[in-house]
This record gives sequence, structure tokens and C-alpha cells, in this order.
Amino acid sequence: MTQAEIKLCSLLLQEHFGEIVEKIGVHLIRTGSQPIRVIVHDTRTSLDQVKKALCVLIQHNLVIYQVHRRGMVEYEAQCSRVLRMLRYPRYIYTAKTLYNDTGELIVEELLLNGKMTMSALVKKVADRLTETMEDGKTMDYAEVSCTFVRLADTHFVQRCPLVHATENSDPGPPPPAPTLVINEKDMFLVPKLSLIDDTLALAGIAQWIELWLQMKVLPVQTPVRAHAWVAGQVPGTGHARGKGKRRRSSEDDATGEPKAKRPKHTTDNKEPIPDDGIYWQANLDRFHQHFRDQAIVSAVANRMDQTSSEIVRTMLRMSEVTTPSSAPFTQPLSSNEIFRSLPVGYNISKQVLDQYLTLLADDPLEFVGKSGDSGGGMYIINLHKALGSLATASLESVVQERFGSRCARIFRLVLQKKHLEQKQVEDFAMIPAKEAKDMLYKMLSENFISLQEIPKTPDHAPSRTFYLYTVNILSAARMLLHRCYKSIANLIERRQFETKENKRLLEKSQRVEAIIASMQATGAEAAQLQEIEEMITAPERQQLETLKHNVNKLDASEIQVDETIFLLESYIESTMKRQ
Amino acid sequence: MAEVKVKLQLPDADPVEIENRIIELCHQFPHGITDQVIQNEMPHIEAQQRAVAINRLLSMGQLDLLRSNTGLLYRIKDSQNAGKMKGSDNQEKLVYQIIEDAGNKGIWSRDIRYKSNLPLTEINKILKNLESKKLIKAVKSVAASKKKVYMLYNLQPDRSVTGGAWYSDQDFESEFVEVLNQQCFKFLQTKVELSMEDIETILNTLIYDGKVEMTIIAAKEGTVGSVDGHMKLYRAVNPIIPPTGLVRAPCGLCPVFDDCHEGGEISPSNCIYMTEWLEF
Repeated sequence: MTQAEIKLCSLLLQEHFGEIVEKIGVHLIRTGSQPIRVIVHDTRTSLDQVKKALCVLIQHNLVIYQVHRRGMVEYEAQCSRVLRMLRYPRYIYTAKTLYNDTGELIVEELLLNGKMTMSALVKKVADRLTETMEDGKTMDYAEVSCTFVRLADTHFVQRCPLVHATENSDPGPPPPAPTLVINEKDMFLVPKLSLIDDTLALAGIAQWIELWLQMKVLPVQTPVRAHAWVAGQVPGTGHARGKGKRRRSSEDDATGEPKAKRPKHTTDNKEPIPDDGIYWQANLDRFHQHFRDQAIVSAVANRMDQTSSEIVRTMLRMSEVTTPSSAPFTQPLSSNEIFRSLPVGYNISKQVLDQYLTLLADDPLEFVGKSGDSGGGMYIINLHKALGSLATASLESVVQERFGSRCARIFRLVLQKKHLEQKQVEDFAMIPAKEAKDMLYKMLSENFISLQEIPKTPDHAPSRTFYLYTVNILSAARMLLHRCYKSIANLIERRQFETKENKRLLEKSQRVEAIIASMQATGAEAAQLQEIEEMITAPERQQLETLKHNVNKLDASEIQVDETIFLLESYIESTMKRQ
Repeated sequence: MAEVKVKLQLPDADPVEIENRIIELCHQFPHGITDQVIQNEMPHIEAQQRAVAINRLLSMGQLDLLRSNTGLLYRIKDSQNAGKMKGSDNQEKLVYQIIEDAGNKGIWSRDIRYKSNLPLTEINKILKNLESKKLIKAVKSVAASKKKVYMLYNLQPDRSVTGGAWYSDQDFESEFVEVLNQQCFKFLQTKVELSMEDIETILNTLIYDGKVEMTIIAAKEGTVGSVDGHMKLYRAVNPIIPPTGLVRAPCGLCPVFDDCHEGGEISPSNCIYMTEWLEF
């Protein structure tokens, strides 16, 4: 992990979870996997706090644990997952565009809470929607469920791995940490719930209470179900904590129906939760696949026209389920299939479609390729090439904005021709020698371009060596990615600084708002309200406005830089997989 | 009747007459005449006299001696040049010949030395002489700016020497290139496809600018612009992504990026670029 990445993770963890979690999280990122005792010792925090911090991190899928031999449990932080937190707004926005407000809230709740059961999720979202609706109307749980099922069907949400159900009657001591497994085919299987409101209400409350409980010793009478796994989340402590019966998983049940029989309890009024133990999380890979498809479609639209981009979008949609997201090519699609799958509004004839496909296949962009002639022509989308072109375009854009359009010309020239001598660069780019030299050296010093030496004689004498300029896209992409991380860290710091500068003013305005609200509740007159409002003077109001504007701008900028990060990371990942 | 042996005394046995006859013949056959032709014309002249006449003409610079696969050819020399070279000697003529052979690419002085086997001092003297007589000129090569090539006075230097259309007086015409760059782009934006050899280099620069793309299609021989069965087509294109996110933030373009740390002289909190950008 580079320094820039660690700094950025530290800022994100602090902003979202607070100091203690940040300390533990950064420590784990820096040092790799460690058992809990070592963490306690190295970070000089109490065992209790470490446990709480780890609990939070595990809940949000930022830390994973493994049992090593000799029964030791080690925790490992996932730096890349922490950096995904920057992308949460984009995920939520995507869900909104695809599934409207309901989808937006579902994904938002899932991301904010890490893992949730379907019942709890549905309830919470429905209640939130009800609040925003007009008086007297309520959001139907069934509708929310329906949207949730659609999200699961399109793989945007997935089940979390479950404890492996050991049906054997071996009563031996349970292992220090549960090993979590998930069956591929069950990953998107939605359990059938009977959505009776009060059941869910109580179940929901119970859920929440249990999940955020401190790690106190739970009385033995507490109900069987699952919250054992929450208590068992922080294993390795050596105590017999909340080890109740192992949670039953409905994996084995073919229809996904919850088991009928449940033991009754008398100690509390917690109703049994139908889908207990089945937790869901957002499937980030699927979102990434969606972003990648969006980027490819818009690139085609920019280079060609709307119709071709729609054709490419159709092809990508058809390949969503057949092609794994890391494949270099999509599965071949026949022209007939594409014709049948075109969106209803587009009534272009088969012939025109064929022409478009031929054009796309022949285009220098090489996003679409022809792989055969059966079925009217088999076409594939060259995903790896597309990602490469997008990453290269990002590089070119940065060179253009930073150094100027003539430098960009030289950069593209060297990209296309792979290796060039100084003289050849001047000739092809039609730029005077002195300026060309200056620009090449500037780009060389910033590591966009590198030099390849080809000696003519064994003694590598400089006068008898060829020096060729070349662009190594992978290393330039990595360099730029590092710069992106640092830039976002800078933006976040600036945002926090701006907020801190105006802390006094913000507090004052909050107080005033609180006073106004309470006075309104007790029925004060307009004149009194006016008086209170005037406590904030006009220049202060102006200042607040400026602050709001600045913070919004910085926030938006973080998201924009994250777009560049996405393109570069996808390209680097795709290239590394192919090696 | 007594037999009278008459010896024919031909009127043109006079050497000057012979020379004039030969010159007339040369004019008749401007491509050159062989010894055989002269012999046929004047059968009564002995080989000796013929040789003397020809030698005189050569030394006077009125005839050119050429070798062909059939034998030796004598050609009338261009009268203008003949007049010029009157005062020169053989060495100069040799050097002149070498320079003439180099055509419009010109020849470097060292190469002249190799070809003629004359010492350097001699060569320099001869070159100076020829230049003052305005028979040859020196042209600075655009490839190596210190090198001078010599060519005949009235010849147009070749592209490779002067750099072609893009150079004037050995200086790169960057403004010219810029203007043409813009013009070609505008031309292509109106969707006219063209491929012309002369503008190909400028079009390539537009490709490197990312504004234009090129495809090669197979074309029949004989269609306008086709070379070896291919034709290059150009069209104006848009970039495939808008300016990337990183460059919309001040950090993406910051020149002191590497020096920026929280708590230092240059930090995100006191960054002047950010302050300016936020006021935008």
C-alpha cells in the first residue's frame, strides 16, 4: 500500500467511523494480517475498544478474518475496499436511475449498514419513504420487496457468506472463528417472507438492538437465533461468549423457505424473524461492470452516433449474464440475436443493423470485432481493448491539460508509433527541434514518457547508442492513479479545513435553527421568530452560503477524480489478469 | 594517249575545314556521332587527320567526348557553356562535370574530392573560381546546418536539402504549419474526404492531435489518389472521453504537487490554486 493510499484510507475511515476505528483500520492496513492481541498491544488501545472497532469494520466488509493453524485468528484489512467508500454516491445514483427512489434508498441503506437482512431492509426503506409521502399514504412493503427482488435478480445485491451448516451431531468445541461460505447458485436467491407488518416491526427492532450490542456476556436464555454470530464475530477472546446454537442456514432448503418449527421463548417478546441469518450486501462488482459498460457506450456515442451506441449497449446488456466481468471479450453474439434484442423504440431494418455492425467492426477504435459468419455474423466486444483505449484517453487528456496541445500531439505520436528517435519525433509532429526537445524532456521528467536505450556497441557508449522514446501505458497509468489518490486526499483535507474554519459560525446557525424549531413547536409569533433569525447577520449568512458552495464543489470534485480512478483501476486490473 | 594519273585533291583537306565539317555533322546529329559516321562522311581523310581535328575540337571545348556501348561518341557542346569554359582548364572541367552529375541534390565538397582525386587545396580553389564565374552555387543543407552542398547555378535544390514546403530560408515555418493545420481541420470537418500526397504530413499531425482519424481501404488502381491499390481516407472525429475528472481539480494541474503536504509551506489548507478555483 502506498503512502497516498494509506493517507486516503485514514481520512475516509475517520470521516465515516471516527478516531478509534481509524486507528485500528490504518494499523491493520499498514501491517497486514494480525491477531487481536497484537493489535491491542501495538495500538495501545483497550481490548474492548479494539473489539468494537473490529466489529464495525467487519460489518462493513472492510476487514476479513481467517483461522490459521494452531487456532489463531488473524484479521486483515482490505485497503481497496476502503477506497470504494468514495464511490458510494455513484452506486446510489446508479440505483436511482435504474430503480427509482425505492432502489436508491435500498442501496443507500445497504451501503450505510454494511450487511442487512431483507426484512429489516424492506421495513426501514418503506418507513423512510412513508415519511416523505403525503399525509395518510404509506409505502407498501410489497412494493419495496418487489424492487429488492429485482435488484437481486440483476445481481446488484448479493447474499453474504454464511456459516457453514454442520449438521453433524458432533458436540465438540466450536472453532474459534466461523468459516463463512456461500454457494454460487444461492448468492442471489431471495427468501420468501411473509410480510406481516408487526412481525417485521418487532423483528426489525430486535435486529438492530442485537447488532449494535456491546460485547457483554449474553445471558444464556437469550434466543437461539443468530445474534450468536454477531457475538461470535470477535472470536479468539477465549471466553465462551454467546455461543448458543449455531445458526441454521436455509441454504439446504431448496425453495428457500424458512424452517417451520421454531423453539418458543418466554423470556422476551422477540418474534422469530423469518429470514434470520440471511444477510445481504451490495454487489460492488456488478456496479463496476455497469460503470464500465456506460463508459464504453458513451465512448462509442462520442466517436460515432447515437444508433451505434445503442447497438453496443444492447450487445453489452445481452452479455451481462453470460460473460464474467473480468473476461477480455464478450461471448460471440449473432447479428440475428442482436436484432431481436434491440430496444423497442429502435426500428431499424436488419440490413441497416448489419451495416452498422460492419462499420463498428471496421472502425479504428476496435471496440467491436467480428468473430465468425454464422447466424448473420458473430460479433464480440473487445473489453480489454476498450478499457485500454479509455485509460489511454485519460492519460492523453491529462497531458493535454497540463502541458498543452503540442505536447499532447507528441505524446499521441509516440503512443502510436511505439518507439521513436528524437529526430523522428520532430519530423512527424512538425514541431521545431528546440521546442520538441523541451517538451519531450518535460514529459520524461514527469514519467509519462520513458527512454529505451539500444546500444550499438558492447560498451554502451552514449555516442554510439540509440535512444528511443516510448510510452509504457501500464506504468504511466499506475503513476497517474497514485496522483489521483493524493489529489482526493488533498480535496478532503481542504474540505475539512474549510469546515473547521467556520466551525463557530456553523454552530451558531445550528443553535438558531434549533431555537426557531422549538419556538415554532410551542407556537411563537412571527415577530419573535424574525428576531431570532436576525441573530445571524447578513455577512454571516453570506459566509455560510460561500461555505456551502465550497464544500459542495470540493465534494463534487472528489467524485469526478474517482471517475478517473475507476477507469485506470479497471484497466490495470484487466491487464494484470491477462499476464 | 598517255594515261594520266590524276590524284584527286579534295578541297577540304585543310584541318580547319575538317573541323568545321565535323562540327556541322555534330549539329546534324545532336545526340552524338561516332567515329564511323565521320569516316563515312569524309572517307578521304586519313585517320590521323581525323584524330587531330577531333582532339583540337575537344581541347577547345566545342565537342564532348562520351562513351556508349557501341564505342566513343562525339557530341556538340552547348555553345553557351562552351563559351564559359573557355578559360578553364581540365581540372575545373572535371569538377564541374562531377557537380553536374549530382543533379539537384547537390554534392558535398568531400565527395567531390573523392571522385576527382584532387587535393583539398586544389578543390577549394577550383570551387571558388567556379562560384565567381557563376557556374555553381552553394546551398546550405537543412539536415546538417554546417554542411554545404554544391550544385549547378540554375538548378532548383531538392526537397531533402531544403526541407521542402515547410522551410523557407532554412527556418522552420511553424506559423505556416499552424495555419495549414487549422485549415485542413476545418476542411475535413465539412466532411470532404480527400487524400493528397502533399498534405499527408499535415494530416498526420492532425491525427496526432487526436482530431482526425485515418483508414486505409482497398481501391482500384486508377481511382484518384490511390497508391498501390490502397487509398487513405480521413475524417474528423471527436475525442472518446470528455476531459477526465482529475484535470477538473486543481491538483491535477498543480506544478508543485509533489511538494504539497499537510502542515507544510504548501498544503491543501493554504493552497492558492484551490482558493482561486473555489471562487470561480
